Amino acid sequence: MAAQIAAVLIFLVMFLLIIMDKIERHIITLGCAVVTMVVVFGICMHSMTALTETLNVAQIFTRGFWYTAGEASESSAGINWATIIFVAGMMIMVEGMAAAGFFRWLCMTIAKAVKYKVIPIFITFMFMSSILAMFIDSITVILFLAAVTLELADLLDFDPVPMVLAEIFCANLGGSATMCGDPPNIIVGTSLQLTFADFITNTGVLAGISLILVVIYYYLIFHKELRVKRTGKVVAEYPDPKSAITNKTSFAISTVIFLCAVVLLVTHAQTGLTVATIGLGIAIVTLITSGKNIVKVIKGVDYKTLLFFIGLFVVVGGLEQTNVLKLIAEFIGSVSGGNLYVMVAIIIWVSAIASAFVDNIPFAATMVPVIQSLAALNGVNISTLAWGLSMGTDIGGSATPIGASANVVGMSVIAKEGHIVGWGKYCKSAVPATIIVMVVATVGIWLRYC
Amino acid sequence: MELKKQLIISIGREYGSGGHRIAEELAKRFGLTFYDYHMLGEIALDKKVDVKTLEKFDELPKTPFFSRTVKGYSNSPQENIANLQFDFLRKKADEGESFVIVGRCAETVLKENPNLISFFVLGDMQDKIERTMQREGVSRGEAEELLARHDRKRKTYHNHYCKIKWGDSRGYDVSINSSRLGLDGTADMMEEYIKKRIAE
Repeated sequence: MAAQIAAVLIFLVMFLLIIMDKIERHIITLGCAVVTMVVVFGICMHSMTALTETLNVAQIFTRGFWYTAGEASESSAGINWATIIFVAGMMIMVEGMAAAGFFRWLCMTIAKAVKYKVIPIFITFMFMSSILAMFIDSITVILFLAAVTLELADLLDFDPVPMVLAEIFCANLGGSATMCGDPPNIIVGTSLQLTFADFITNTGVLAGISLILVVIYYYLIFHKELRVKRTGKVVAEYPDPKSAITNKTSFAISTVIFLCAVVLLVTHAQTGLTVATIGLGIAIVTLITSGKNIVKVIKGVDYKTLLFFIGLFVVVGGLEQTNVLKLIAEFIGSVSGGNLYVMVAIIIWVSAIASAFVDNIPFAATMVPVIQSLAALNGVNISTLAWGLSMGTDIGGSATPIGASANVVGMSVIAKEGHIVGWGKYCKSAVPATIIVMVVATVGIWLRYC
Repeated sequence: MELKKQLIISIGREYGSGGHRIAEELAKRFGLTFYDYHMLGEIALDKKVDVKTLEKFDELPKTPFFSRTVKGYSNSPQENIANLQFDFLRKKADEGESFVIVGRCAETVLKENPNLISFFVLGDMQDKIERTMQREGVSRGEAEELLARHDRKRKTYHNHYCKIKWGDSRGYDVSINSSRLGLDGTADMMEEYIKKRIAE
């Protein structure tokens, strides 16, 4: 009982500190992780097993961690090293791509392809945002897309705010479609041994249907605003997409690595390579081919996020080892009366509402063991609950300016150019879009799996 | 007055202390550009955005629980406006412009500039209340409330961005109580001080 109380208190303090935004996130989770190890596993439980299971280092040295040979490996608790290695690998690859000018080139090429017309740019950028976010973290996608949108807004004399708001939403939506698109999905996928194909044929379908509706929705609410000329200036010269490429060789190499990463991810169930192997592989290849940029690429890795993940998994491990998450699962099971419709609705909507206000990564990491227990206790297919959790956490974060990292980054990038967007303006367009997707996800999961 | 080199005067102030009026007076006496919240007008013009959107969040602390920072990027309008102003001030200072700036953490933002002279103007409570009652046309109670609210906001805003606390004399070249010499007398004393500093 004392261990449970301590684990819950540490978890709540961690969440509160994250929300207060006064101390860096990785320091909070690492600090709370140390307290969990000392107080929960040491003082309260006197359990070395709980500590080693949570640190989970031995898992890295098993064959199943790197190669599954068509068979699902054992699910394990504690630090999800596969997520950490994969995220690190993708960070290194994205750094290489950014340094070569890939993202700006892609945006400018698309803008040129639609003859620099505002509404076609608006629509194609929404699709591009979604598609890129399927494979690359949404922060990177928005960082580049928002910057190019500002550049084009200045050139073509339109208000960039509606376009960036739509791009942010579509990036979050695209992230929900694949296993590697959004951190909650990586956590859900690696924890429950789901494959890329599992995601794309389940959350991917829901995200695809939603994307069409969302593009129509954003077109209807923003097209008039986007047609208004801000200053009435005439365009002097259109930029050449090729000017975005900083180094042709690096550009070609990074494009090939990206395409290889996509192919490996899409086929990882067939090849047996785990996401950890793919992450490590693309990181090594990127570093080898970076040449003199190697230091810059390594320095660009956001190690704070990786440390944040490690600390987080230990704190959640504390809740898991003390059976607190099992109690939550039992509570959801009793509230739903074992009814799958109600269970799915609770998972989706509670995840969405929580993710709109708190970081969806800790939420997803906490909920994975909960849905595992819920599925075991009620004899429900775990993947049905996993799709609900993924859609809820990924999309719920779109509703508010603080719900997802991409939202914060997008707001900040445009604010640097004087385009200040408060909560009211943000939520006015994002909340209805979020509700549209949540309804599609709920009804879709009910019809297909219940 | 003809200046031989760049001069930047930053003035932090308590609400009702008359610091703003003194700053305007010094700008006149030294023939300097005066920046206060009107700076947002210039920023808005440069960025081609509506100044009213910017003014709503000027010199305000960020809202806790409604703001989040990711990799140094913040969604807080208050924080983003503050950074726009800090960048504006740094740019003007780097371009060699001489000016007077009221508030906006200028003593910290521009502390690396050797031509910066920083002041903090405070005042006795009684004088601040009377000045606020007269200027705003409000009752004593309302004036006290205004003072408390504005100073709390300024303090939170300042302390979020600066290591040295708002009004702490160690953060400024000179801290001065405007109640002792009155507004004109205080301005005279500050003028003398500035003249001595620029003569160095």
